[in-house]
Amino acid sequence: MLSVNRIALGIILIFLLLIPHIASSYVVYVAVLAILFSMLTASYDLLTGYAGPLSFCHAAFYGFGAYTSALLTLKTGMSFWLALPISGIAVFLFGVVVGYPALRLRGHYFAVTTFFFGHFMYLVFLNARDLTRGPLGLGGIPPPDSIFGIDFSSLTANYYLILIFGILMVGFLYALVNSGYGRLIVSIRENEDLAEAVGVNTAFVKVMAFSISAGLAGITGSLFAHFFRLLHPTTFAWMTSEMIVVMALVGGIGTLVGPIIGAGVVTFILEMMRFAPELRFIIWAILLIAILIIEPRGLAGIFARIRGGI
Amino acid sequence: MKKSSRVMVIIMAAGMVLLGLSTAGFAASVIKIGYTAPFTGSAAEFGVNGWRGIQLALEEINKKGVMVAGKKHTIEIKRYDSICTPTDGVANVRKLAMQDKVVAILGDHCSSVCVAIAPLCDQFKIPGLTIECAADKVTKPGHEFYFRMRPSVGLMAPLFTPTIVKKFKPKSAAFLVVNDDYGLGLASAISKELDKFGVKTVLTDHFERGNTDFMVYLAKIKKAKADVAFYVGVVPEGAMILKQAREMGLTESAKLIGSEEMGEMELVSLAGAEATEGTYAVSLWGSVPGDFSKRVTKRFNAPMHYAIIFAYDALHTVTRAIELAQSLDPVKIKDAMKKVDYQGLEGHIKFEDFEGYRNQCKFVPAIIKWEGGSRVPLK
Amino acid sequence: MEIFLLQAGNGLIIGSVYALVALGLNIIWSITDIPDFAQGSFYVIAAYVAYFAVTLAGVPFLVALVLGMCVGAIMSFSCEKFLYRRWRERTFRLAARTQLLCAIALFFLFANVANALWTSKAKIFPAYLKGSLLGFSYMRINVLLAAIILFLVVYVFINKTKPGKAIRAASMDLGMAQVLGINIDTVNSIVFIMGGALSGAAAVLVSPLYSVFPTMGDLPLLKALVVVILGGFGSVAGILICGVGLGVLEALGAIYISSAYQHGYSFVILLLMLLLRPKGLFGRV
Repeated sequence: MLSVNRIALGIILIFLLLIPHIASSYVVYVAVLAILFSMLTASYDLLTGYAGPLSFCHAAFYGFGAYTSALLTLKTGMSFWLALPISGIAVFLFGVVVGYPALRLRGHYFAVTTFFFGHFMYLVFLNARDLTRGPLGLGGIPPPDSIFGIDFSSLTANYYLILIFGILMVGFLYALVNSGYGRLIVSIRENEDLAEAVGVNTAFVKVMAFSISAGLAGITGSLFAHFFRLLHPTTFAWMTSEMIVVMALVGGIGTLVGPIIGAGVVTFILEMMRFAPELRFIIWAILLIAILIIEPRGLAGIFARIRGGI
Repeated sequence: MKKSSRVMVIIMAAGMVLLGLSTAGFAASVIKIGYTAPFTGSAAEFGVNGWRGIQLALEEINKKGVMVAGKKHTIEIKRYDSICTPTDGVANVRKLAMQDKVVAILGDHCSSVCVAIAPLCDQFKIPGLTIECAADKVTKPGHEFYFRMRPSVGLMAPLFTPTIVKKFKPKSAAFLVVNDDYGLGLASAISKELDKFGVKTVLTDHFERGNTDFMVYLAKIKKAKADVAFYVGVVPEGAMILKQAREMGLTESAKLIGSEEMGEMELVSLAGAEATEGTYAVSLWGSVPGDFSKRVTKRFNAPMHYAIIFAYDALHTVTRAIELAQSLDPVKIKDAMKKVDYQGLEGHIKFEDFEGYRNQCKFVPAIIKWEGGSRVPLK
Repeated sequence: MEIFLLQAGNGLIIGSVYALVALGLNIIWSITDIPDFAQGSFYVIAAYVAYFAVTLAGVPFLVALVLGMCVGAIMSFSCEKFLYRRWRERTFRLAARTQLLCAIALFFLFANVANALWTSKAKIFPAYLKGSLLGFSYMRINVLLAAIILFLVVYVFINKTKPGKAIRAASMDLGMAQVLGINIDTVNSIVFIMGGALSGAAAVLVSPLYSVFPTMGDLPLLKALVVVILGGFGSVAGILICGVGLGVLEALGAIYISSAYQHGYSFVILLLMLLLRPKGLFGRV
């Protein structure tokens, strides 16, 4: 089975590498958005899939990273290559500050609180006009500075840049969840009281999962800011957070692969339905409920069933 | 990419010419024009009304047909939802340019989206025409391929403020505006103009979109004793403001002047003729021919909306440009856009470069007064 | 001072709408563990149905109110019976996740159905009563009165009637309630019917003051979720006090602090409260 997986992975990678050469710029653009969403759902999976708490504020960290990176380059003239890690670290620290009190809450309490936190951050993006220019949108963000003679102002170059970061991030997450720390996180998800009883500092482990997941979303935000070069608060409104949750759950959380595939599938379906503007979200919602009825564990669950799994 | 799209355009144009030669004068072929607009979400009303206007224009145009290089064409609209978000708007334009290969793009309605798609029109070398984006930066400094008919926020204020000063001779003004780029931009522009005439701004307050309770804001305005009160927002908010202003007697002490939407017939249908009586509004259109209003009512069972008029004019303008260009090459259509000189329903449409603006029309907005539930344009 | 009182009064009225939606959400949440986002869309549909009943059929407002409550109740009941119930037997975490996701999907679905059917243009609900008292129109005062009546009805139902006692038992210990012979399907149906009816009532009551549009349910839903957490579970009075309190605080904050963050105050209050009293202000657990 392992070799089949490897072959499938290889085919997908080659396909991803070829996209800019075989498809139109529209498809490449959509692919960039899909990769960005895959990065968001993969980092989201670390918290919700592995550590357990259901969170609804991932877009807030995404936006925080995007605005931080954009403002650093715009106001201080910093290079993108410096702004990217700084915004990641900034969002990570922000995640610690938010996560520490919030993670004391359990179950849906935590979920609803994050929901509000997401909305609150949107209000900040919208109303901190001196910094974010609010509803006017923050424009004029420079593309990533060229290195090794590669000019990143074109769509194709951005596609490869974001693809490489996506692969790096997924690799990092894969290594993380398969490390000792990853097993610790899962032990908390399975039985928090037991983990605590055997001496695991559950609060610390959970806050770390929350903050790493936030920091990775911040890096994704930085990539988005310098790719799209225009930030608007609506991009980071609660709708985006919901979308991340839906994509991850459709794919099947706690599998890392599931949310990534989920992001791709959902982006693809929504793009396919552009022809029916008014009905797009209606069809989409019905489809989502249908998936839930067929298999609540999402696409990963369907695959498992096909393979004769549980 | 630029090169490949140019090559594509040349191939396309060559293909069209060949096609045209082989079937000259026979069956009509199709010109594709794109339309990106919000059809869902909180700004959906603009897209829905814009689509109505486009349908009306489309019927007229396709009945006659568009003659290009001696051959009759019909127009087909490809429309996609932008939900008023820049990322979706960009996806729409990329799809329109690369998959659908349209010759021109109409839209969007939201300034945030217009700002994002205007540079793409340059990149793909396809002319774009916004329906109603109001932010100055859409055409200032502007883009070679992006056009705007309506005056922007910064252009409007200097055009109508002198009329207001002359008519009402106010000493102080108050603003109640929606908290977005349009509301804030318009309020500061008007305030700056009023300042030149020595009219003081005594109060500026903003409310969130979708707010429905204005009693407190209105009480503050009444207390500040402003002579004129500007209110900026969309019709449902405006209707609530007028109703509540009447309830507390603000309409007697101050002249209420609404933003564009408050000059729409819908205001009367929502607020009632009684609440609107004697108030004013800035309007981009003075009056439309009666039969156009009738067509809107008959076809859609809906009141007149400026987005209908704007979108109707937009499609006619682009069609005019295609006829002038006598070509389906988007670059030639872009050049022809600059030659369009056309009396639209909203005003005189002629794109000019001036005072840092590019591809921008310049017409004077009207000020209307509500009398007995109908619009009376002020002289 | 006049402004203060006026705004405090308006906050009271808006707060009672939050409280009504929150009451339904609270009962549903405490029994089934579902934060039922879909209530926000039943709110919208109920308001539209009442609007059309009044403008097209010309029914009196009270009939429209009852109609709106019925619509909310039927939608809520059907969603539980045909959807949420399906996953109840799954393992706890999976069930909770799936039901929540389904609730969000339903919220999307009905809000967009309303948009497709009736466009996003707001509709103004005709006034059913003229006149005012101390600067508040009678219609405004009616919202508060109706909210108090509905709260009393729910209070009596839960505390004095047999099905009410079954609900209370189920909210304390679901397993034990089942052992004692309480039919959990029936209890679920009852709480969802109540929740839907309360959402519908809140929507129809507030429609004549404001307007009817597809996204009208978003804010009441958000605020109601805060109120549920603030009020803690199982406390009818707590919900009323928190709902009204939140409404007043927001209204005053909008005037004296900043109107831009009006909808953010609830988050700040929520966070403070969670840090200080994680069980809710009136929680009995």
